[in-house]
Amino acid sequence: MSDELVRMVNINKLFGKVQALTDVNLTIRRNEIVGLLGDNGAGKSTLIKILSGALQPTSGEIYIQDQKAEIRNTTDAIKYGIETIYQDSALVTQLSIARNIFLGREPIKEPKFLNRMDQAMMNEAAGELLKRVGISKNIPPTTPINSLSGGERQAVAIARAMHFDSELIILDEPTNNLGVEETQAVLRFVRNARDKGHSCIFIAHNIYHVFQVVDRIVVLRRGKKVADDINPKETTIEQVEHIITGMAMA
Amino acid sequence: MDKPLPIPTEPHADAPSLLQRLIARPEFGPLVLLVVEIIIFTSFSTAFLSITNISNLLAFTPELGMIALGMTLLMTGGEFDLSVGSVFGFAPIIMWTLYNEGATSLEVGFVIALLVAVLIGLANGLFVTRLKIPSFLVTLGMLLVVRGSALYLTDGFPQGNWRAESPLMDILVGDFMIGELRVYASVLWFIFFAVVLGYVLTQTKWGNWIQASGGNPSSARARGVRVERTKIALFILTAVLAAWAGITSTIRVATANPNSGTGYELEVIAMVVIGGTVLTGGRGTIIGTVLGVLILRLMRNGIVMVGVPGLAYNIFIGAIILAMMSLHSWLERRHNAGT
Repeated sequence: MSDELVRMVNINKLFGKVQALTDVNLTIRRNEIVGLLGDNGAGKSTLIKILSGALQPTSGEIYIQDQKAEIRNTTDAIKYGIETIYQDSALVTQLSIARNIFLGREPIKEPKFLNRMDQAMMNEAAGELLKRVGISKNIPPTTPINSLSGGERQAVAIARAMHFDSELIILDEPTNNLGVEETQAVLRFVRNARDKGHSCIFIAHNIYHVFQVVDRIVVLRRGKKVADDINPKETTIEQVEHIITGMAMA
Repeated sequence: MDKPLPIPTEPHADAPSLLQRLIARPEFGPLVLLVVEIIIFTSFSTAFLSITNISNLLAFTPELGMIALGMTLLMTGGEFDLSVGSVFGFAPIIMWTLYNEGATSLEVGFVIALLVAVLIGLANGLFVTRLKIPSFLVTLGMLLVVRGSALYLTDGFPQGNWRAESPLMDILVGDFMIGELRVYASVLWFIFFAVVLGYVLTQTKWGNWIQASGGNPSSARARGVRVERTKIALFILTAVLAAWAGITSTIRVATANPNSGTGYELEVIAMVVIGGTVLTGGRGTIIGTVLGVLILRLMRNGIVMVGVPGLAYNIFIGAIILAMMSLHSWLERRHNAGT
């Protein structure tokens, strides 16, 4: 068995006449955190949306664990073990933290035909998860999402991905709108996730955050991959910035 | 483990007092209103709390109340149904026409009438979820289709039969005495439906799906919630409860008027929103709806007892709706400002 988890091959995406992605190849190995960098409009979000099922590629193929995968929508992606955490985390704001974490996969008490959710277990698990993602404030898991701050909402989305052991967790700007402590918690979570055998794709504007956690940096520029194997330990932030903007190295 | 509460007063407060938690519940406003209403009416007219009057109230209330229970779940799921009043009138027409023509027994007619309601709910649900037409327009069309069918089928004449005998009639609306209080079986059915649907909404996975479908359908779908199927089931549930209520009503008064139930859709929606369920979906409460049903039915009854002209009834209903909506919106803003 190869250690390849996801392989995207020759991905092209056209929006009308605009070519958003041109022949992009991307491989994610097991136990790997890949930082995906690029300026605004470089195609990072488009590439990620294709992998998470929110967009369909114009052409190209995706292989997951060496099997060709058909990802038609987000539900398919979740079935393949790909969990995406967006900037505006997709939570139901009226529902409680615990109900959101378990939405669609609610634990049911015996006897099954009564369809009763195990709310005690849900609340307990949610409380534990909130501590693990680093929310130190005492927020009861029965709190509805609409009374949480942006950072707390992000943390709930991350807690959800953690709980369901996704193979690949895509974090799209997870540190936006976060306080210092919450940012550290997210970065810690990403490292934890790798240590437990998950892979991550980490997209962030803040290169410092990316440098702190990733194993490898991939750079997109104007819809093309321009760098694939940057080792953050052997490269300076300035060098990466030059690659992102396309300026010649001094 | 603490009992889960839908809305804590202070989002991050460690331990709100019992009183604070009570006030924070969406049912608190309607409960206060109901108590105030009872106090006012009783102080104006001693007959208000008489056995006869309570007995009368208990006969009428469950019929609109049942529809309101179904509507609560549907509205929590982000849709609503204007065709309930028509179904309320049409379903009993089917049952009584089949029976009077000698085509079927009353029991079989009852089952057929409920099946027709299932089809009406299914049609509403499919139009809304498959063709993405807003439920306002779909159910407005269905209101006219169903009402028209009832009038056409009967030539506008009431159906019914004084001499009909069937155990079904006792099961649905048979009356019995508790001391001096005459109680109809329909009250028990109403309580039964309220308990079951309250359980479904707050305790089950289905309830979680209903709230998620109304609150944020696209993210619910992304988590694997079958939003479309949930909504279709809710349309069917609402139509079946409206049919059940209509049949109950015609057995009680022994006649089925093809025009009965006209305007009920709006009164039912009023009951549901006064109870604290939000029109835009995502949040609903069965306890609140039961309170809302009582508030409006007591109002209709009490106004007459107190001596206000019956025709002024709608003024009070309108004022209550506006007052309750203002209260809910104020509470909502205060709640969100705290974060």
